[in-house]
Amino acid sequence: MLREYLRREGVFLLSAGIILFFIGFGVARPDLLDSASSAVHAAILDNFSWLYLISVFFFLAFALGLALSRYGTIKLGYDAERPQYGFFGWIAMLFAAGMGIGLLFWGVSEPLVHFLQPPPFIDAASPDAASFAMRYAFFHWGIHPWAIYTIVSLSIAYFSFRRGMPALISSCFYPVLGERIYGAAGKTVDVLAVFATVFGTATSLGFGALQIHSGLTHLYGLSSAISVTIGIILIATALFMASAIIGVEKGVQVLSKFNIVLATVLLFLVLALGSPPYVLNVFASTLGGYINNIIDLSLQSYPFAGFEWSRDWTVFYWAWWISWSPFVGLFIARISRGRTIREFVLTVLTVPTLFTFVWFTIFGGSALHLELEEGAGIAAVAGEDVSLALFAFLEHYPFAGILSLAAILLLIVFFITSADSATVVLGSLTSGGGLVVPNYKKVVWGLSLSAVAIVLLLTGGLDALQVMAITAAFPFMLVMIGLCYTLAIGLSQEKVQ
Amino acid sequence: MFEKTLIPVAYGERPEEVRKAGTILKTLGANSVCLYHVNEPGSFFRGADLSWLTLLSEALEETGLVVEVKTGEGHIASAIAETALLEGVDGIYMKAKRRWHIETMLLGSVSRDLLRLADVPVFVHKVRPRLPDDGADPAQSDLNVLYATDLDEASARTLPYVMEFAGAWCHVLHVRGRMADPLAERVRREAVERELGTVAEELRPYFGRVTVEQQIGDPAAQVLYVSDQIEADVVVLGRKSAAFLSAPMGYTAERIVTGSRASIFLVPQPGRRNAS
Repeated sequence: MLREYLRREGVFLLSAGIILFFIGFGVARPDLLDSASSAVHAAILDNFSWLYLISVFFFLAFALGLALSRYGTIKLGYDAERPQYGFFGWIAMLFAAGMGIGLLFWGVSEPLVHFLQPPPFIDAASPDAASFAMRYAFFHWGIHPWAIYTIVSLSIAYFSFRRGMPALISSCFYPVLGERIYGAAGKTVDVLAVFATVFGTATSLGFGALQIHSGLTHLYGLSSAISVTIGIILIATALFMASAIIGVEKGVQVLSKFNIVLATVLLFLVLALGSPPYVLNVFASTLGGYINNIIDLSLQSYPFAGFEWSRDWTVFYWAWWISWSPFVGLFIARISRGRTIREFVLTVLTVPTLFTFVWFTIFGGSALHLELEEGAGIAAVAGEDVSLALFAFLEHYPFAGILSLAAILLLIVFFITSADSATVVLGSLTSGGGLVVPNYKKVVWGLSLSAVAIVLLLTGGLDALQVMAITAAFPFMLVMIGLCYTLAIGLSQEKVQ
Repeated sequence: MFEKTLIPVAYGERPEEVRKAGTILKTLGANSVCLYHVNEPGSFFRGADLSWLTLLSEALEETGLVVEVKTGEGHIASAIAETALLEGVDGIYMKAKRRWHIETMLLGSVSRDLLRLADVPVFVHKVRPRLPDDGADPAQSDLNVLYATDLDEASARTLPYVMEFAGAWCHVLHVRGRMADPLAERVRREAVERELGTVAEELRPYFGRVTVEQQIGDPAAQVLYVSDQIEADVVVLGRKSAAFLSAPMGYTAERIVTGSRASIFLVPQPGRRNAS
């Protein structure tokens, strides 16, 4: 009986055990946790930065290669199956998956920080630095993150919808592991996926909480003590746990749609109230520079000058996207049943990417406009505290208070919907890929997400969040390379014209 | 199968070694042998006295075989493959030499080329079956044969050769990749079992015992493993074109020939003419 339970719940028990150990360790010895995670993080960055760059470029090439090959016509489902969602509904959901706390957190601050602190071979705060900043913002948020998500979601969709296996990462390894996917090897793969999801999501929740706190401090002069950030996390945790446990799926959907509308309104307000021609010029020239340099950007680690910069930004982003990929991948897979591989890959790679480009152009480009043309001094704020940049930027617009409040509202709703979805996904990953997740698992994962975010904020703040995202992503990156291989094996067995 | 066999020889070949080869070939049903030597352009031995060839020929004749001596010029492997075709031999016999350690690890470039280029079956004699002076008395009826088959059309060409070995035991092995899901895997396994059963039925009249096995994994590694497990004397397999990506590692047949202790009988792909 106990043996059967341990076998069935192996992934849950093991992953929950590791995460609880991590939380306990962080509470008992935060200094030791900080030094241990920093050592692992430094070792990964010192030795494997190149692997992140090459792997992510490979994921992009692989995804495009599949879409344009004869396998592009294969359906993610049975041959006669029709797409589960209409095209526009599907695209709306892709938007929802692509938009989140990160866009709000980094939309203004990333271009400004690159502008102020570019690699050593570019003069800081110069027009060249502005161009560099926008290009890298496009690069970090462009087609590559979606290529990462594509690999995971395509693998899950193919093996679960077309091959009839559970929606688990381990299922994708059947072509190489065979029945061992039900044993230790398969469980290890799923535990790595859970591990990456917990730390990737906790990083985002940490960012979100920091920014909500900064916004409230900025607007209402709230104390900037870390205890307030923790309080914000606790309140948000209560809200998203209630949503996850009560199963207010419809409510979450309504909230998500509301957020998309609110984000779009905010986006166009910032565009309309700013300098549209300037911003649209930024869009066109950055897009050109991005397309023209995409291969160089993909593989460039600036080993002779600026290696640190590349490690701190590009490698961090790649790791963060990788750690998010089981979560986003599973979501995208679920909404994409019945699509062909070509349709899936090309849409997932282009539509959300274009939206993100527009977002970064409007927020980042407008911020650079204020900085370069009006000497607004927002870059200095971003350099001091990245979470404050958005609110410092909105200060320069009419109705700044309302816009800032809208941004905070967006952050809170994103926090709740992301954490709610992550809790359900983690529950599913630790329940054999089933859609029905017991409440006690939702409680464990919901509390774990928030506890990990709090522990990381207490041990080292923003840096600790980034360190853990990179560390947790590393093993999963190797899993993703394996996913490409197993997907290729699976597709090679298809009879295609 | 070996009625007329071509034996490529080089300067320095010892008559007693050739005599042993003759004994084995006689056991396998050979009547006549074409001893063939290629003068490589620019070779140090080019134009040297060829009386050593006569000595080899005499040694072979002692085994009761009809011997014909021929020489040629050019790229060694291509010349051998071309002559084998022109002379209408049934197969080429090569003894894997063990005089130098390096040859046990890597086949010489001539042998590798010949394995790729030959349009007739090639028999590479390795450690097993043992030669008469190794304390064994080779008899065809004692042979353990491992037949590695892809179960595709090309394999059909190999089957008659397997029948001609007609030894004590034939183990039919099919190595394949795993299917992408459990259901497809079960269906494939059952289909392979049926196909292997059919092959076994065809071979049963020729062997004392016929067994079948399917394995998942790397074909070369699995063939070598199973060959050692069953102590096969001869591994019979068909030769396929090397996939582009496998070229740096050597194609499956080459890897098997290099690593096997059993002799290899390699049947070329049908419809391909390399030497010409």
